[in-house]
Amino acid sequence: MKHSTSKHRHNPFWDFFASVKLAIVLLIILAIVSILGTLIPQQRDAVEFASRLSPFLLQIFISLDLFDMYHSVWFRILLGCIALNLIICSLDRLPATWKRFSARLEPDRTKPFDDLPQEQSSRTDETPQQAGGRIGRLLQSRYRKIREKEVGGDRFFYAEKGGLSHFGVYFVHLSVLLILAGGLLGSFFGFEAYVNILEGEQTDTVMLRKKMRPLKLDFEVRCDRFTVDFYENGAPREYRSDLSFLVNGKEIKRVGVLVNHPVEFMGVTFYQSSYGPAPGKTVDLRISGPGSGTSPIPMKVESGKAVDLPGGEGTFRVIDARGDIMNMGSAVLISIQPANTNETVEFWVFKNEEQALSRLPGPMRQSLKFNPAAFKPYTFFLDGLETQYYTGLQVNRDPGVSVVWIGCFLMVAGLFFTFFTSHRRIWVRVLGIGTGSRIDVAGMANKNPVGLERELDRLMKDMRKTAAGYEDV
Amino acid sequence: MIDSIILSYTTFVYFAAFMLYLLAMVMNRELLARLGTYASLIGLTAQTVAIILRWAASYRMGIGHAPFSNLYESLIFFAWTLMLLYMIIEWRTRNRTFGTFVTPLAFLAMAYASFSPNISSHIQPLIPALKSNWLISHVITCFFGYAAFGVSFGLSIMYLLKRLDASEKKNIFLKLIPPRGILDDLNYQMMVIGFLMLTLGIITGSVWAHSAWGSYWSWDPKETWSLITWLIYAAVIHSRMVRGWKGKKIAILSMVGFFCVLFTYFGVNYLAGLHSYAQ
Ligand code: HEM
Repeated sequence: MKHSTSKHRHNPFWDFFASVKLAIVLLIILAIVSILGTLIPQQRDAVEFASRLSPFLLQIFISLDLFDMYHSVWFRILLGCIALNLIICSLDRLPATWKRFSARLEPDRTKPFDDLPQEQSSRTDETPQQAGGRIGRLLQSRYRKIREKEVGGDRFFYAEKGGLSHFGVYFVHLSVLLILAGGLLGSFFGFEAYVNILEGEQTDTVMLRKKMRPLKLDFEVRCDRFTVDFYENGAPREYRSDLSFLVNGKEIKRVGVLVNHPVEFMGVTFYQSSYGPAPGKTVDLRISGPGSGTSPIPMKVESGKAVDLPGGEGTFRVIDARGDIMNMGSAVLISIQPANTNETVEFWVFKNEEQALSRLPGPMRQSLKFNPAAFKPYTFFLDGLETQYYTGLQVNRDPGVSVVWIGCFLMVAGLFFTFFTSHRRIWVRVLGIGTGSRIDVAGMANKNPVGLERELDRLMKDMRKTAAGYEDV
Repeated sequence: MIDSIILSYTTFVYFAAFMLYLLAMVMNRELLARLGTYASLIGLTAQTVAIILRWAASYRMGIGHAPFSNLYESLIFFAWTLMLLYMIIEWRTRNRTFGTFVTPLAFLAMAYASFSPNISSHIQPLIPALKSNWLISHVITCFFGYAAFGVSFGLSIMYLLKRLDASEKKNIFLKLIPPRGILDDLNYQMMVIGFLMLTLGIITGSVWAHSAWGSYWSWDPKETWSLITWLIYAAVIHSRMVRGWKGKKIAILSMVGFFCVLFTYFGVNYLAGLHSYAQ
């Protein structure tokens, strides 16, 4: 069945896209292109690779979209060709399949019985009428469609099942279309974004991943609480955010989001994807200098707020606070505004000053930027930062997902039908011979001939069981 | 850990089974092949017990999870399904020559898992993203698929060897291999099972990725390679169904497909990606 059989035979476009050869070629092209995509770094990973290319090659790569090929126009055209191929090929074959499925075959056909193997014939003492009644009931219990006929005292039966197996392939192919359509739907009408929210804070703006620009949602999300617990080895065991969703300032829904347990609100789904420490508002400092005597004065200061120096030489502010910088532990950036000049002095103060100094590269060690005593006569010490967690949420909208899942389900169901069922047609004839009768069984299947043979054997055995007086011919 | 000790002994049992099957074919001794079957059965039983022990042990450690969560455990499971499928085939076909071509794959997988210095056999706690029943179904279906493709690979080698056989030749080894028609049918059946399982594996993987990361498909190299494998086998199924390709062509394509499986499994670790097996 290489050539299309329908009325479209003379349309070369139709012929081209109805061909299974094209399907095989397209599947292999898609495989090769996908291999290329795993060898050439894509998207963000591509930057380093691109910098090593010559300008000429780089131009070619960029104009062919090779750094983001799975989202390129030509890749979509390739998928489109596969879809077209599937649609036209299926339309082209559907009428013939329908015919094979629905063909009304006569019970008294003789062709199936040509070259009948020995075992599929047996003899009984019953009349064709008696034997036929019994066999009819047996078939009735096993097959959905039964037809029978009586010709001159002989009985003929036809039974079939599994006709839908012809359509398994169409389900599979339809499912491929659904999955592609779902993907397309998602890429046109959906978005992928992320947002980090500090415990206790709320936002209505998320960051689009691809375009790296903010997107405003129709509602606000607040992170009421973030919790994380750890295994003994320090790896996180579970983390969760308790979120509230607010519309026009009114709280509508409160819910916990865990890894692997996303929540949806107004068509937007929130996934727990990461977390991290964020320095909080208050910083514990000690300051030694005039007026401190032997032990430095402890102070609790709020980030960003100007505080008078103990001796009144000016003010200072904590302008940055980090839970960890360059693996040297927590640190704050102090900015001092002396009373007598406009020149500010800025320097980092580490919680563990000794360790930080030992890790700093030599030249930086001398720099005032890392000297907690940079503003004479004071020395700053950092006792602690109040740390808070921020929760990292993936925020997506994808109206295509349900279409994709329906496609997946259909694909699995279709594959089961295609691979594990077959359309079996069975003929039984009961011919009167002398005072008894002879029973022949024959069958036909669209695939799995071994399975059919087993079924015929079983049928023969069961027919023998239901009656005494059988003997093999 | 008792389970990894049993598993490393199982490795030797599978090697013994392989040698017995091989010697049986070279020397044409049915008895040796039967011993090979016993060895395989002992190995499979021991391995099953070890997997269950490992499962129980993870619960005793308070980090309970199904033993399919890292490279070590997945290799063990791959070998287990391979041997299970093989035993079913041996029982259905009543032919032991398949053992010579399938047991070495199981042995290699076990040996790699047990003796490679890069692979830790410790039971590790799961990071939150890996705690998912979808992930368990994903691993089970994928590795069942891979095992079916592995058997298909063995059958393809048998097919290509059997082509060297001819009625006037006196090579016992080749004579013992079943006729080409049987090999070809069985090969196709294995590819079909593998394809179905791989399809399920990719789908369950997508469902998991969707609930964990919010994206059912992100073109990461491991995903992409599983898709490539899937496409190759889809092409094979079509070329056979519709273009009527049989025998040698299918055998060669099956070997190409299995190469893709191996690359999906190991090669991808040399590309960047986010799968936890790539450590
Ligand atoms: C991309 C994914 C595809 C998948 C997963 C797929 C899957 C399948 C499966 C499972 C079968 C049944 C094989 C059997 O019965 O053993 C099949 C048959 C077939 N496929 Fe596809 N297919 C795909 C693409 C295509 C395309 C693009 C075409 C385009 C023409 C096509 C045309 C056919 C035809 C004509 C058959 C034979 C149907 C018959 O038995 O009458 N397939 N396909």
